[in-house]
Amino acid sequence: MASKNSTQRRAIILLTLTSIMLVTLDLQDSPKVAGLRSAFGTLFYPVEGVARVITRPIGNAWYGVTHYNELLDENSLLRQQVAQQEGATVAAAASVRLSQELLALNGLPTLAGINAVTAQVIGESPTSFSQKIEINQGAESGIRVGMPVLNAAGLIGRITKVFNNRSFVMLITDPDFSISVKVVSTGRKTTESTVLGITSVTTSTAVPLEPISNTPDAETTTTTTTTIPIAGFTAVVTTLPAAPQGLTSITIPLASDLDVRETGVIQGNGPTRQPTVRFIDNSLRFGSIEAGVPIVTAGGSRSLAPPDVLIGVVSRVVERVGSAGPLLEVEIAAELTNLSFVRILLYQPITEKKSP
Amino acid sequence: MLLFVLALQTTLFKDLRPFGVAGQIILLFVICAGIQFGISIGAIVGLVAGLMFDFVVSTPAGLGSITLGVTGATAGLYLYFFPNPIWWLRLVSVAFASLIGEIYVLIAQAMVGLGVVIELRLLTIIAVVAAINVGLSPGFLIITRWTLSERKKDR
Repeated sequence: MASKNSTQRRAIILLTLTSIMLVTLDLQDSPKVAGLRSAFGTLFYPVEGVARVITRPIGNAWYGVTHYNELLDENSLLRQQVAQQEGATVAAAASVRLSQELLALNGLPTLAGINAVTAQVIGESPTSFSQKIEINQGAESGIRVGMPVLNAAGLIGRITKVFNNRSFVMLITDPDFSISVKVVSTGRKTTESTVLGITSVTTSTAVPLEPISNTPDAETTTTTTTTIPIAGFTAVVTTLPAAPQGLTSITIPLASDLDVRETGVIQGNGPTRQPTVRFIDNSLRFGSIEAGVPIVTAGGSRSLAPPDVLIGVVSRVVERVGSAGPLLEVEIAAELTNLSFVRILLYQPITEKKSP
Repeated sequence: MLLFVLALQTTLFKDLRPFGVAGQIILLFVICAGIQFGISIGAIVGLVAGLMFDFVVSTPAGLGSITLGVTGATAGLYLYFFPNPIWWLRLVSVAFASLIGEIYVLIAQAMVGLGVVIELRLLTIIAVVAAINVGLSPGFLIITRWTLSERKKDR
């Protein structure tokens, strides 16, 4: 009996020390722990596959019972949204193409130039404390830790663990998630310029408005710009002058009228609270931030995501005293609770790329 | 058996999420081992199960092992306090140990610097995990008894 107790005690001490050593090594990103994890994953994957096949009918039944009404409602809502978006998509595609052409013309990087891998979401995190999902593509597809993950709506997270043919994605709502972002200030501005005797009036606003219909006369061109925050593009309705012939209307934006951008850091706050953007400069140049302005990735040589990937829109601005700057609550564009397919941008910042 | 429970944890119980909370049957297995076989066996089963669990999730390896080890040992205290077990007291102990186990997870995560957000949802997580574990515990008590008894015979 004493010998048995002694053996058990030794086993406990040995296992505890092993665990402590593993925690220490893993927090230092030791390749040995990654190797162990990968080896266990390779061994365990077939067992998990069998269990998945056996238990799938139970899971499907459960999902059918618990989500039937939600699916009906969602389906109806999606039909409405599809109808609304069809028209907007055409205009957006044209704007995106134009933007990419301009960026390419100026030798600037674009999202279209970055290779991407499409993956299917095969599971959520087995624990309730972390906001992670599992996808069915891994190192064999060129995926590396840190790469940004998107869906059709925008950024959803980044890769945190990579196995040969599967990976874990930390969602943007995870408390450990953070990335540098840009906040685009689109406060109401009115610019008036005159070219060859024709007055051009440009009005831009951050809140969705119905297009204003003006009766054009010979001397005035009216351009109404309505910014749709979620879609992240600008739809323009232009009424051209009927006469006189041979005259051209050109709107020249002043440097002070261009959208001002300010950088900050977005951080997740768990699934029930919206992520927040901190470290926004409280400068006069930037002006006040209103709800509805878009948040996009900042990019840069050290950022894990390329610039201008849409994240969401500001839902609330919390003013803080002193020089702390405002705190922005962000409504994420992507629906994180119902992810099926995601796109991994095979993007690595210059500082992360290994020299050949 | 642990491999089988782990496979169920990473497949079926990852998808069945009442109130958005994943059931923790690996935690239940450890608790049942502790409740029936005492502190030492509870700790050993917890350490081994946690080590296996750590290798399939993305939290730091070894963290789950320590957490489940301590939970198994805590569950083992049941035999120390109640040497002649009563069936309903076992269910209460399972619920209590599940609650403690989830709190240990949070403490461990905070200790290694992982982000822990204290919010009302934590109460929901703990309550749902405890409820699921209590519901499944009669079956798991039989499974753990059978598994660990078989091991005894092998020796």
